Amino acid sequence: MKKKTRNILRTSIILSIVILLGVTLWFNLTSDSQAIQVGDDAVDFQLETLNGEEMQLSEINEDKGVILNFWGTWCEPCREEMPDMNEIYNEGHEDYEIVAVNVSEGEQQINQFLSSLDENLSFPIALDSNRDVTKAYQVGPLPTTIAIDKNGVVVEKQEYQLTTDDIYSFIEQSTSE
Amino acid sequence: MELKEIKCGSCGHVNPPGTQLCQSCGKMINSDYDKKKIKDLMRYDGSAIRSKTRSTSIFDKIWIFFTSIKVGVSIILIIAISASIGTLFPQEYFIPVGSDPLQYYTENYGTIGRLYYELGFHNLYSSWWFIILIGMLALSIIAASIDRGLPLLKSLRNQRAKKHPSFYKRQRLNLHQENVSNTGSVIEELKKKGYKHKADGSHHLLEKGWLSRWGPYINHTGLIILLFGSMLRFFPGMYVDELVYITEGETVQIPETGGQYYVENNDFIVDMYDENAGTVFDDTLQNTNEMVTSNYQTDITFYENQNKDVIGASPDLKKVEDYSIQVNHPYRFDQFELYQSSYDNSQMKSMTFQLEDSNGEVVGEQFTVNLDNPEQSYDIGEGMEVNMRAYAPDFVEIDENGALISETPVATNPAFVFEVTDGDSSELSLLQVMLSTDITQDNEYSVKFVENENHWATVLTLKKDLTLPIIATGFVIFLIGLTIGSYINHRRIWINDEDGFNISAHTNKNYFGLKKDIDPILEKNGYEHIFDRDAKDQNESVNTDEE
Repeated sequence: MKKKTRNILRTSIILSIVILLGVTLWFNLTSDSQAIQVGDDAVDFQLETLNGEEMQLSEINEDKGVILNFWGTWCEPCREEMPDMNEIYNEGHEDYEIVAVNVSEGEQQINQFLSSLDENLSFPIALDSNRDVTKAYQVGPLPTTIAIDKNGVVVEKQEYQLTTDDIYSFIEQSTSE
Repeated sequence: MELKEIKCGSCGHVNPPGTQLCQSCGKMINSDYDKKKIKDLMRYDGSAIRSKTRSTSIFDKIWIFFTSIKVGVSIILIIAISASIGTLFPQEYFIPVGSDPLQYYTENYGTIGRLYYELGFHNLYSSWWFIILIGMLALSIIAASIDRGLPLLKSLRNQRAKKHPSFYKRQRLNLHQENVSNTGSVIEELKKKGYKHKADGSHHLLEKGWLSRWGPYINHTGLIILLFGSMLRFFPGMYVDELVYITEGETVQIPETGGQYYVENNDFIVDMYDENAGTVFDDTLQNTNEMVTSNYQTDITFYENQNKDVIGASPDLKKVEDYSIQVNHPYRFDQFELYQSSYDNSQMKSMTFQLEDSNGEVVGEQFTVNLDNPEQSYDIGEGMEVNMRAYAPDFVEIDENGALISETPVATNPAFVFEVTDGDSSELSLLQVMLSTDITQDNEYSVKFVENENHWATVLTLKKDLTLPIIATGFVIFLIGLTIGSYINHRRIWINDEDGFNISAHTNKNYFGLKKDIDPILEKNGYEHIFDRDAKDQNESVNTDEE
């Protein structure tokens, strides 16, 4: 009887310390890696575009796949992939949409960049002036491109410049059922 | 070690396995111990240390491993050594904000720095192996306390007055006298000194300061609560310590509140002490060569967001109140506090220019370019206009298309292409902070830099700590235990007059004080001073017989 209580005491103390340690370590390890990864649900957001319109991810995502491209005018690979994306976008975009999310730059800088391009960009440019969306997606390096399928699930993510093949692959991923 | 219960040959009491001194009469019933350490026998009153008796299941084996004092001390040593290694290089929160830690440690401290980072010393208190060490320390404290404390406190509660003659002789303080007539008066006088008396026929036990024995266990309880509180800091929502950077005039979202709250920086103020204020400090202030700050203050407006469903959506802010945050006077909301932490005026806000003609004469008015989102055109009067054709906040080069290339979006090295036009003709020039280059030939006008203005940004610290009450409670309990264990002495005196007058005494610390209790009484009743076995080879001073 006494031996039984002692065993229960010992076992429960050891187990509770091990469980608390495990929980603590789990919280500790997960606290700083909340970046959105392939397989996660996309976080809905609403931003103003350069044209002054409001856009919301969930509305576009209702019947189309979405490619989010986080960029800045000061980032060279971003500048280089823009015309490629535009060209492919202009071939037809019935079942997907590209949203170029500019990370916290003034309109002057964006317009200056756009006017240096040979042709206008056809896809919308969203202005994340407070970095709200950039933070929500935990975007690190620019450019970061994320493909979201029609179910609102992230299906592809790349943290460096897209080649034309990459762009086609992102479109295919975002439009696949 | 024997695993059977032990029946005392003298009094018949049945003792738990591993017991060394009979719990009833104090006769040695188990000689399986190191005889040189006779004081150790009395440390836990000769009772069995629980874990030294049985070991069967895996949990028992783990338990027994952690009850060992050697293991406990080793864990403490490893923690102490790791903590000192953690001070060799700065912890991660002291390295410049935004720098990559791996790169920072490798660049500044070489291979050792890299190793330091890889092993997690850069964030010591949250590295996984340090957390595990702390967990092991907790288990060691709990296991050792239960296994030593419970039998000790139980045997102290059950102790009897009657002790075997060998028990008397084993005590450090003891005395045998033939005259038995004054036994009663010795006991009475000891009772006057606050000793509690317990008698069993001609056997007497006088005891005080029993609480002292609880000291270590109370202070271990405090430590466990303290460790529990620090553990909770890793749990989401329990602990927040973050910087909030707000440029003057801006409104930012407060992190960790799910977009519910916003704060606006209306004004950041630095006040200096007046050297001629007419106070007694004037002389001192005049003698120091630098200005002495009297106040850092941020005037904020605090808002609550009525529209916080979608990220990035423009917030619908409802003003809650205005407040002036000063050092040590934080703004409090919910369970959060916003403290004044520091400020930053290293970021450029605007640059002011002046147009001059080729003779160096000033033309028109000065104009100011906002570096965050500049205007395209500036009318400076006298029929002149300056157009900004291009701007790079952090200029590196001009690319093949003639565009200005910026390295970063931060205005650290601004460069502009200005077009000066007087309505008929126009000319272009490239202007950087320090130098200006004509783009068109033989320019008549030049744009001169006049001054720049920097942003004033306040840096606030957002704090929330729900673990503080727990940690404080643990610490207070720890201190109470420490005080009880250190300043109260557990003193016991055994007296019997069965075969002459026999007295022996034990204390867990401060034998000097115990003798001062006993000797005057013995002297008064015609007895000799009590014999101190250790006095011969030891200085007869305070003996600190630890725990």
